[in-house]
Amino acid sequence: GKWKNKERVLIFSSRGINFRTRHLMQDLRTLMPHSKADTKMDRKDQLFVINEVCEMKNCNKCIFFEAKKKQDLYMWLSNTPQGPSAKFLVQNVHTLAELKMTGNCLRGSRPLLSFDPIFDQEPHYTLLKELFIQIFSTPQYHPKSQPFVDHVFTFSITDERIWFRNYQIIEEDASLVEIGPRFVLNLIKIFQGSFGGPTLYENPHYQSPNMHRRLLRLSVAAKFREKQQVKEVQKIKKKGTKVLVEEDPTEVVFETPAEEKPVEIQLVKPESKPIVKDKKKLRKIQRKKQKKLFRTEG
Amino acid sequence: QDGLKQCLAEFRQQLTWVERLDVTLGPVTDPVSQSASTSDAVDPENDFQREMSFYRQAQAAVLEALPRLRKLQVPTRRPDDYFAEMAKSDQQMQKIRQKLKSKQEAMERSEKAKQLRAMRKYGKKVQVEILQRRQKEKKNMLNAVKKYQKGLSDKLDFLDEEQTSSQGNKKGSASQRTKKGPNAKRRYKNQKFGFGGKKKGSKWNTKESFNDVSSFQSKVAHNKGPGKGGRGGKGGKKALNKRPGKRARQKMKNRAR
Repeated sequence: GKWKNKERVLIFSSRGINFRTRHLMQDLRTLMPHSKADTKMDRKDQLFVINEVCEMKNCNKCIFFEAKKKQDLYMWLSNTPQGPSAKFLVQNVHTLAELKMTGNCLRGSRPLLSFDPIFDQEPHYTLLKELFIQIFSTPQYHPKSQPFVDHVFTFSITDERIWFRNYQIIEEDASLVEIGPRFVLNLIKIFQGSFGGPTLYENPHYQSPNMHRRLLRLSVAAKFREKQQVKEVQKIKKKGTKVLVEEDPTEVVFETPAEEKPVEIQLVKPESKPIVKDKKKLRKIQRKKQKKLFRTEG
Repeated sequence: QDGLKQCLAEFRQQLTWVERLDVTLGPVTDPVSQSASTSDAVDPENDFQREMSFYRQAQAAVLEALPRLRKLQVPTRRPDDYFAEMAKSDQQMQKIRQKLKSKQEAMERSEKAKQLRAMRKYGKKVQVEILQRRQKEKKNMLNAVKKYQKGLSDKLDFLDEEQTSSQGNKKGSASQRTKKGPNAKRRYKNQKFGFGGKKKGSKWNTKESFNDVSSFQSKVAHNKGPGKGGRGGKGGKKALNKRPGKRARQKMKNRAR
């Protein structure tokens, strides 16, 4: 058949990503034969530069990974010429290479996409669903694709986040084994334009990682401060209001001074005691001597 | 919200399903799971439950999509002779297989060790039981032999072990009478301590020995015998003959019982 659906996805990242993100990117590139790779982008360029890069590569979709502070990973999904774009916070990344992911699939085979019914209930989720479909589904008759359908991508919504899993279909009765990778997307914002433009939707449940860390630190500090406060209160309690007792003039009446002892000045050093190693033995010997004496007397 | 809908309307592509291959379904309801009826919301903290819900969602999608694909004549099963590059290299799959194997082996080893320990314990218990049983049998046998020696039971049943107690009850009503002979307390003590006889009181007087005046010799008692001198010369035999010999004494003893 002829390849009609000309989708091309550009997958690249900014500088400062760690090994896990790099592997995730590579995994996505292997799983999606309609993807193209690009070099790392400098952070000092503005985001709309990406649109130009995409145009140069003749791509109409883009997945851009942005790493900040060497800790947080953000992912942009966008339809480059004019379409919507979305920014997510990525968490819980597991790559293809992990030994617990035992499944395998053909390189470039077309995936089946499975969505949670919650995706149809909210408008922003419907938009995201459309975006996912267009980006992740391999076009039919793509030259690099394999004609078989042997794995399935799942997008589920739990705890206000989108969970991504990739399973291999083993049997026709739907026995599945996980291939990987897996990650969790936390939606931040949806923009009308590609990497810019007015905000269409902002996730109220989203808490930036900085805020999260700050809250943790504050809670720890609050605990410590509470402890200190409690200590101070206790200190004040202890000192308390001391009751002043008035001086009693008749208290001194019965005092009789002690007799003065004669002051003895020792001029000669006293004999040193013999060093006794074993007091018990000494006592035993003494007792025996006494007994002997007693016997001889009696 | 309206902006979203407008954007979606613009953005949406009209592609045939075959191009997109998307399925939107809830998870397959597990007939075994208890939680399906009680709570629909999956607890995200419960890892196993969460992963199972994802798995079931994928299963539902597969179950719906495969027939549709087959109708559209899109192949889903890979023929056995179709070799192509896989997403994970063969080396990677080897590593995975190795890990799984080692895990399984470790589990098997621990299972074997546990079983061995259990068997040893059981074997020890059985051995102890057997030894005890043997000792009990020996004790019973000895008791039976002693009983026979003392003449309480004139049956030699203890020689054949197979004899049942019912048969013993049918033979000899005499034995039934003698069963009431000693007291219950006496019988209990016999059973507990056996017929060896108590050592402590063996030289004390019993009622019978006290009333037994047979060894009384009035001449000896009143010191009117021929005397020591007379005995020293010839009368040794005569004086000694007054006490019967060992055999005679034993005969007398047995006959009295």
